[in-house]
Amino acid sequence: MWQSLPEFGTGVLYAILVSAAYTFAVGLAAGRGQPRLLRSARLGAYATAGLTLFAIALLTYAFVTHDFRIRYVAHYSDRSMPRLYLFTALWGGQDGSLLWWLFLLSGYTTACVAWLGGRYRQLQPYVIATLMAIFGFFVVLMLFAANPFEATIAGARADGEGLNPLLQNYWMIIHPPSLYTGFVGCSVPFAFCVSALASGRLDNEWIVAVRKWMLFAFMFLSIGNALGMAWAYEELGWGGYWAWDPVENAACLPWFSAAAYVHSTMIQERRNMLKVWNVVLICITFFLTIFGTFLTRAGIISSVHAFAQSDIGKYFVGFMALVAATSAALIVWRLPKLRGKTEIEAVASREAMFVINNWALLGAATFILVATMFPKLSELWNDKVTVGPPFYNRWLAPIGLTIFALMGLAPLFGWRKTSPDALKKAFVFPTAALVVTYVLHIAFGRSLGYPAFVERDVFYPGTVGIVLQKIGSALPGLTVAIAAFNVAVVIQEFARGVAARRRSAEKRNDKESIPVALFRLLDKNRRRYGGYIVHLGICAMFIGFTGGAWSIDRETAMKPGQTYELGRYTLRYEGPRMCPGNPRCSPEEQADVTKRMIFADLTLLEGGKTLGRLSPAHFIYHRQPDSPTTEVAMRRSLREDVYTTVATVDPQSKRATFAFHVNVFVSWIWVGAMVLVGGALISLWPELSFRDVGAWSYLRASAGASAGVATSVMLAIWLCMSPTSAYAAGTRPRAPAFTDDVRRPFPLAPFGAAAAGLGFGAVVAFGRRRGR
Amino acid sequence: MTPSGRPGRVLAAVLPAVTIVTALVVGVAVGVEISLLVIAAGALAGVIALLWASVQALTGESPITLEEAMTLGAPSAEEEQKRSVLRALKDLEFERSVGKISEEDYAELSARYRTEAKRLMQLLDAGAEADRERAEKALRERLAKPPAKPEPAADGAEHADDKELPESEREAPARASGAEHAETPPSDATNEAPSGAESEEAS
Repeated sequence: MWQSLPEFGTGVLYAILVSAAYTFAVGLAAGRGQPRLLRSARLGAYATAGLTLFAIALLTYAFVTHDFRIRYVAHYSDRSMPRLYLFTALWGGQDGSLLWWLFLLSGYTTACVAWLGGRYRQLQPYVIATLMAIFGFFVVLMLFAANPFEATIAGARADGEGLNPLLQNYWMIIHPPSLYTGFVGCSVPFAFCVSALASGRLDNEWIVAVRKWMLFAFMFLSIGNALGMAWAYEELGWGGYWAWDPVENAACLPWFSAAAYVHSTMIQERRNMLKVWNVVLICITFFLTIFGTFLTRAGIISSVHAFAQSDIGKYFVGFMALVAATSAALIVWRLPKLRGKTEIEAVASREAMFVINNWALLGAATFILVATMFPKLSELWNDKVTVGPPFYNRWLAPIGLTIFALMGLAPLFGWRKTSPDALKKAFVFPTAALVVTYVLHIAFGRSLGYPAFVERDVFYPGTVGIVLQKIGSALPGLTVAIAAFNVAVVIQEFARGVAARRRSAEKRNDKESIPVALFRLLDKNRRRYGGYIVHLGICAMFIGFTGGAWSIDRETAMKPGQTYELGRYTLRYEGPRMCPGNPRCSPEEQADVTKRMIFADLTLLEGGKTLGRLSPAHFIYHRQPDSPTTEVAMRRSLREDVYTTVATVDPQSKRATFAFHVNVFVSWIWVGAMVLVGGALISLWPELSFRDVGAWSYLRASAGASAGVATSVMLAIWLCMSPTSAYAAGTRPRAPAFTDDVRRPFPLAPFGAAAAGLGFGAVVAFGRRRGR
Repeated sequence: MTPSGRPGRVLAAVLPAVTIVTALVVGVAVGVEISLLVIAAGALAGVIALLWASVQALTGESPITLEEAMTLGAPSAEEEQKRSVLRALKDLEFERSVGKISEEDYAELSARYRTEAKRLMQLLDAGAEADRERAEKALRERLAKPPAKPEPAADGAEHADDKELPESEREAPARASGAEHAETPPSDATNEAPSGAESEEAS
């Protein structure tokens, strides 16, 4: 029967389905408390994961050996593609990305089952059963609608069609896997949630187990979204990094609900409250990951990211309905057990701040969700209404600012209630920082080129429009001031913690220096202080977002020798260059036979001093001549990026039309994302005690944690190295390097910051647990 | 939990390592294509072993290990609640040390948490007493029995492992260490098909 790879691969998919179904059944049976069945289910889960690894290895083999009998391989690769992109083609198309999803789920399942060991024995059977049900859905989807092993109807071709050139980018090597890792990671908390509801073990311990899994998923959602922004910024060439595209929105939706959850779970742990809210948040987060996948693949909303239209949407709708119905039914069933007896006692309490923060985060997610679906929904009663970036930017500004402010406020409050004296003491320094920063910004911002108030158009007629215009106008100053407030809060929290540790040491007739006290404070309270570091990262990102208010966007046409004034810079157009063929082309460009490259060379000057050369380009791939790509050339710095693209070049007159942007503080977004990841890593690091678990277990657990964390660190370093890699030639030549005459200050700066942040995290994580 | 018995544990540890090392060597020496096939073959071998072990566990043909038996003593709901209260108490101390809570609130909350922790500890002690007695009784019975004969060589390697317990005895440590399965009727364990080890014990 299985005489060829397509048939054999399909057979393996059937085997995964059978194995998942078997494990699901045994898992459910094990829910009655029989250890033998649980053992069988655990082994079945490992086997299902192993089969998925087998399937992915087969598909990779097909890509590497150019087995064009498989339709997916023929459609997304060709013989000229570098091997690295043959691997990335695994998730470059719809069918393969579903198998990739399953592969990541198998990794999570293996890790989760291994981690569970003897823990949560009453939950385990249902956790395994839920994970297997998710397995089942994706395998059914592949078998009936999107089989990555499906044979080419007309037989094997001589060569494939090749991967979309836009996807042949190093960001695309790591962006989808990291985003998928975040998406798929939400399956584990959902499995725990279903399990707790099904078994009735709704005390607070399971939520502790879920917290780290959700934090891990949250971290990868952050990395994935940041890498997606970096890809859009560098590859799409429109000058920005986030266009509120439906697929971008779908990717950030679970981020909001996961962020809400990692905060609200603390309330349940501390105060035994919000049990219903927490299970709802977990279910919503998982639902949104499936919804996001559905939105990308069903083709119901037009998007630059969406895969080709297909009929898999109905499967997703069915699965989403099943998830929603099952979750709702379980929650309603367990409602009497979920209802807490405690209530929020005072508004001036941390739990009240967290609840408001949760509402704001969910509010933002709901707004984005409705706005994303609005074009489709509007078709039901009217003509199609398009919702563009200005709409999102105007409306989300006040919501985002509220979340940003609450982020700083919450740590200042204590649990249950905070006395007026304690509040006064807590607010003095951050408020002073806010006021001083705001006053200084108003006083000196305009002269520095970063005014606190900017001009904004009235977007809507009437009061709402005027209010939004006023908020938008005041946004830069407010954001910077609130960022200062947030940073001051974090500094104060660290300072108070260090002071408390030193006082405590003194009482024991011991002495702790400030660095030692800081180290031990972090080591002992990783979750809390890791969270504060995440807040610092978000502050940096907000500064990066705010930079858009001071950015410059221009379009112009130039002849060779002409200059253009762009803020404090001058750009001189030197002329076009076509490679290969032109003697000024580099050897690498000369050797590239896959495409024609048309460069427009510019010299960048500041105050008459030459900073270097920028060469934006158009690449025309011989295989896809109808889809020329725009290649960006830019000079980066922490202060601003000079970002150039070329739209057209007239071969006769050599006149070229350009788009120039000075993007202020964009690099802080990448630095912030990196700090966020560093903080999340500190929070995530398992608290192991050598004495408690024994040497071998300690080593095993440390090795396991190290492997996971090392992957994250690599991604983070990759992210922070973006400025460097932007100029480096990849496996395919990029728009050529920014050839500068002066040493750029930037590339080392974020790398140093990354090394410092991550090194600090690593030192804390690896540090000995002395002084506990 | 890995495939049953010592061979299974060895396989679980060795197979992935051998597969990865072979794939790396083959990848360097021959090419990545064959390396991928090595990974696929390793995965397939693992799947077969795992499914075999799973079915064996399902049909009761593999004994439960001591390690697994010990994990039956997973924390009860009260134990988990106790941990939660102790964690809250620890957090409260920290809040106090950084001045985020007034002395009055601290005293009130601290007293509340301590009372709750005390109640839970008493509950756990009371629950563990009966289980401890049962465990001791089971142990006495076990010691009173004559030592079992060594098994035949064919499957003796697996059963000779002194870290494995017969099915009939696996509940004892569980009940002694926290009684997670207090709700499970005692007859549950005996309803399952007896393993080879149990037959041996019975004879």
